[in-house]
Amino acid sequence: MFTLITGRTLEQGRTMEIGKFTKDYMDRVAICEINPEDLKKIGVESGSNVKVKTAYGEVVVKAVSSNTTSPGVVFIPMGPWANMVVNPDTQGTGMPNLKGVPCQIEATGEAIPGIYDLLKKISDKTFEAKISKPEVAVSGRSETYSNVVCCFCGCVCDDLEVSVENGKIKSVKNGCAISMAKLLNYDRERAYKPMVRKNGKLVETSLEEALNEAAKILAEAKYPLIYGWSSTSNEAMRHGVYLAELTGGVVDNTSVSCHGPTILGTQQAGVVKATLGQIRNRADLIVYWGCNPVYAHPRHTVRYSAMAKGRFVKGRKERKIVVVDVRPTPTSKIADMFIQVKQGMDYELITALRMAVKDHTIEAPTVAGVPREKILELADMFRSARFGVIFLGMGLTMTSGKGRNLEEAIKLVQDLNEWTKFVLLAMRGHYNVTGTNEVIVWLTGYPYAVDFMLGYPRHNPGITTATDVLIRGDVDAALIVASDPASHFPRKAVEHLAKIPTIVIDPRWSPTASLADVFIPTRYVGIECEGVVYRMDGVPLRAKKLVDPPPEILSDEEVLGKLVEKVEALKLGR
Amino acid sequence: MEYLIKNGYVYDPLNNVKGEKMDIAIKNGKIVSPSELSGDAKTIDASGMVVMPGGVDIHSHIAGPKVSAGRIMRPEDHYKVYMRAIPGVRRSGSGKTTPSTYVIGYKYARMGWTTVFEPATPPLETRHTHEELDDIPILDKGCFPLLDSNWFVLEYLQNKDYDRCAAFIGWLMDAIKGYAIKIVDPGVAEAWSLGMGVGLSLDDQIPNYNLTPREIVRGLCKANQMLKLPHPIHVHCNRLGFPGNYVSTLDTMDAVSDLALNQDTPIIHITHVQFTGYAGDSWATLASGGEEIAKYVNNHKHVSLDLGQIVFGDVTTMTADAPFEFVLHHLAPGKWSSTDVEAETSSGIVPYRYKKKNFVNTVQWCIGLEVALLVKDPWRIFPTTDHPNAGPFTSYPTVLAWLMSRKAREKVFEQVNRRGLRKSALQAIDREYDLYEITIITRAAGAKILGLKDKGHLGVGADADVAIYNLNPEKIDFSKDWETFVKAFKRAAYTFKNGEMVVKDGEILRHMYGETYYVKPRVPESLLKTVVEDVKTRFREWYSINFENYVIGDDELRAVKPIQVETTLKG
Repeated sequence: MFTLITGRTLEQGRTMEIGKFTKDYMDRVAICEINPEDLKKIGVESGSNVKVKTAYGEVVVKAVSSNTTSPGVVFIPMGPWANMVVNPDTQGTGMPNLKGVPCQIEATGEAIPGIYDLLKKISDKTFEAKISKPEVAVSGRSETYSNVVCCFCGCVCDDLEVSVENGKIKSVKNGCAISMAKLLNYDRERAYKPMVRKNGKLVETSLEEALNEAAKILAEAKYPLIYGWSSTSNEAMRHGVYLAELTGGVVDNTSVSCHGPTILGTQQAGVVKATLGQIRNRADLIVYWGCNPVYAHPRHTVRYSAMAKGRFVKGRKERKIVVVDVRPTPTSKIADMFIQVKQGMDYELITALRMAVKDHTIEAPTVAGVPREKILELADMFRSARFGVIFLGMGLTMTSGKGRNLEEAIKLVQDLNEWTKFVLLAMRGHYNVTGTNEVIVWLTGYPYAVDFMLGYPRHNPGITTATDVLIRGDVDAALIVASDPASHFPRKAVEHLAKIPTIVIDPRWSPTASLADVFIPTRYVGIECEGVVYRMDGVPLRAKKLVDPPPEILSDEEVLGKLVEKVEALKLGR
Repeated sequence: MEYLIKNGYVYDPLNNVKGEKMDIAIKNGKIVSPSELSGDAKTIDASGMVVMPGGVDIHSHIAGPKVSAGRIMRPEDHYKVYMRAIPGVRRSGSGKTTPSTYVIGYKYARMGWTTVFEPATPPLETRHTHEELDDIPILDKGCFPLLDSNWFVLEYLQNKDYDRCAAFIGWLMDAIKGYAIKIVDPGVAEAWSLGMGVGLSLDDQIPNYNLTPREIVRGLCKANQMLKLPHPIHVHCNRLGFPGNYVSTLDTMDAVSDLALNQDTPIIHITHVQFTGYAGDSWATLASGGEEIAKYVNNHKHVSLDLGQIVFGDVTTMTADAPFEFVLHHLAPGKWSSTDVEAETSSGIVPYRYKKKNFVNTVQWCIGLEVALLVKDPWRIFPTTDHPNAGPFTSYPTVLAWLMSRKAREKVFEQVNRRGLRKSALQAIDREYDLYEITIITRAAGAKILGLKDKGHLGVGADADVAIYNLNPEKIDFSKDWETFVKAFKRAAYTFKNGEMVVKDGEILRHMYGETYYVKPRVPESLLKTVVEDVKTRFREWYSINFENYVIGDDELRAVKPIQVETTLKG
């Protein structure tokens, strides 16, 4: 019996931006990292195929030997393969158990399934790749843009330099590996024509017809799910909220499966934060807890945290770096101290730290696998910092305890303010997940998972969260915008999504697009159109337009604006 | 649409109209002379009703990062208070003390208010503030950038380079679409960045800078005068929330008295003065400093005040005074949020409940009313609740009733803490505001102190923002029948915004949007160039975004109303 954890990796992020239908992506994501000792025990060689079985399903992936993975723990990068075996129970939080799932591993002669093989297992729809060759806009301008706002991760770096030649991006300066992969490959896996499913197959059609069909689906639905948003602009999000209100559905963004639990923690305790510049200028103690920015937010350490040069704290030498994680990570390599916490026991460790900070006696010799002396030492480091910060990742949100872990972490930081200056910040993933949470909260009063069934906003995580309404089969139609739940939701949720009429609005082709009944291609925010996006710390930025969009392709905002008009016409008889 | 509002009792203090029966004509969004109306004009029979300009609120936290942070941390504030969508008429929303944007617009409009200013926005995150303001329906609005701990301001003031300080602020207002200079516990955010700043006094030194809060207030007051901005510096005093702080308030007002040039208009606005009007030296010995403050204001024309009047019940306190929220977190343990914004400011949020039987809360309740009743000039006192700090803006009708009726106050006297009640002169005050004075403090004076020439009155050429209340001033004695007043003011009979009827019988008729005001000071080109170059050089070192991405374009806002300002700056 092993314990399965899932999560981001640099290669998962990079290859995803090149394309989820590439061999590269499959090679990097359909894998299972296993400790060499464990490999020996189960008699599997690194590189051969294994079958991973949990109570929720099974999947064949490639075994990869990994020294950083502790014995007894295995790791599959987040993606369509991991979804087959994770635990869909959200325990009333909206967040499935994506880390800490008991599993069995055995050698197998079976081949690794492709993305479509996986989808075919859960739905009888016909799946075809509808990817077409890049279409270049006619105008073909050449220009170099500076201060470009990167639309990949929550870092939203705004110092990229992008050269455009004949309407195509030629080179990118200052970007990280993922940002370069996105900007140079964004048009590799796209479909350029709106499509509607007819007789079981997606066929190309006009935008008007696709919109009519989409409007009909939404207007006829009793309780549609309006989901996605974290990779589009605030302007688009506003339409999303209105569509949910008009149709009496539920609107949610991807925070449900990333930092939704952080919001739950905030609802219990508040939160003590700072913008990244404040941290860069002043933090002399930086803790990365359950996050791995070197992989997931590649420029974070250089621009904002560990390595960054600030006004008062000049760089790495003047800062102490601590990493708390279940296994060593590339981020822990740059740390002064690495604390290995037992999988699923973060809550215990944070509680022990709160006790140590308050000079309470800890009787147990170890807590969560960490010796008492280490905990006391860490508490002392925290208290003696001039300006401390804890960056929190999905290691805390996805693991058991979920929102309670975050509540406890927030309270630890609140306690520490009795001694010194201390803040925390959630490492938000998608570039505009923060912004879309903000739009939803200022329009409805709640930051995500908002239900309009009764004509006014209600919020009940575990009931009105996107994952739960899909897993339980509550919703009877779905509009998915700029997101790919088919790749990142548990199998049970995807099964229901494939059953109900689904509209997908996205710049690129994706596994979710493959199961759509209506697909409408749009422009990329930050590449082909402008839009306001919020960095992980809430700093708002306006993304630029760099290249002309392909002919006849509109932005998410424009397409949704038209969809709103059509749904209004059907619903209000206008 | 054209309208003729007939036979109402018109209250229009800026034009000296005191409840006379008059007709008001509306055409193309403006007030016109009735003779200009065409035959299509719709007649509104306002006989037996009061007609006033739309309400103007100079201080209410309605938009921006801290407001949404308050919403996020308080789902419980939203469960029970909500508005259902009426398809095609109005949108939905929720929240009592931190309502969502649509609810803010609708509830203000239902009370007859049409212009509201957000009094604190961190410049770096003002794009967010504008996004929220953009989503508040019906109202015209604007926001005041926080400048007292801004590093550029601090550096310029430390070097006594007032010209450049003013030029920088002039540039900033235009760049981020701000309206007035906001000062919150001057210098405190810089101290809070080091975990300090609790109880900072007017003559303490700011960490890292050779400056005191006094110098910051004076410096920004000078800059404001050089820029000739339409609104005076808007100041939340040092030591807010600490017993004995009325002395700080007096000192702050007096710190700029020598800068007043004998003009009629105030040069410093002290905001939510109730929170900085405490005498006594501990919570146990708390008493009102309201009389002293009112006396000063009555003797000095350079000051105006708003109240921050306590309303008993639930509130969400939110302020850029982060250390005070930290203190409040200890007084009211529970949720606490705080955010630092690099190189500029910080903020804190703590939910709170004012209780009638509580000694301190009773004293607080008395102070606001005491000041309002003792200040003689209604043009320099504003009946705010510092929404949502001392009470939600939806309590305005109740607050006004307390000012208009001694009986209304007496009813509260019976319910509150007896000892607390004796700590102010409130029980001895008989003054009752009349409806004309109420019109001044809720509309005319607000428009005047914000420098909005087309607001707050009903003269020809004014914006057609009009409120009509079902109140007959000839029949009702407000002193006795204050409940009728409250009822009428909670739900206006009609509200017009830009000539459109948006409220009828207290219900929202349509969803529409107003404009966002900001100032565009004319800074001489050479000075502007020097300052912008200076800012650019240090921006990369100080901020985590690039200078070019800091600036907000006119096209990012739904509808802008830039106010050109001629400055006294020389190139």
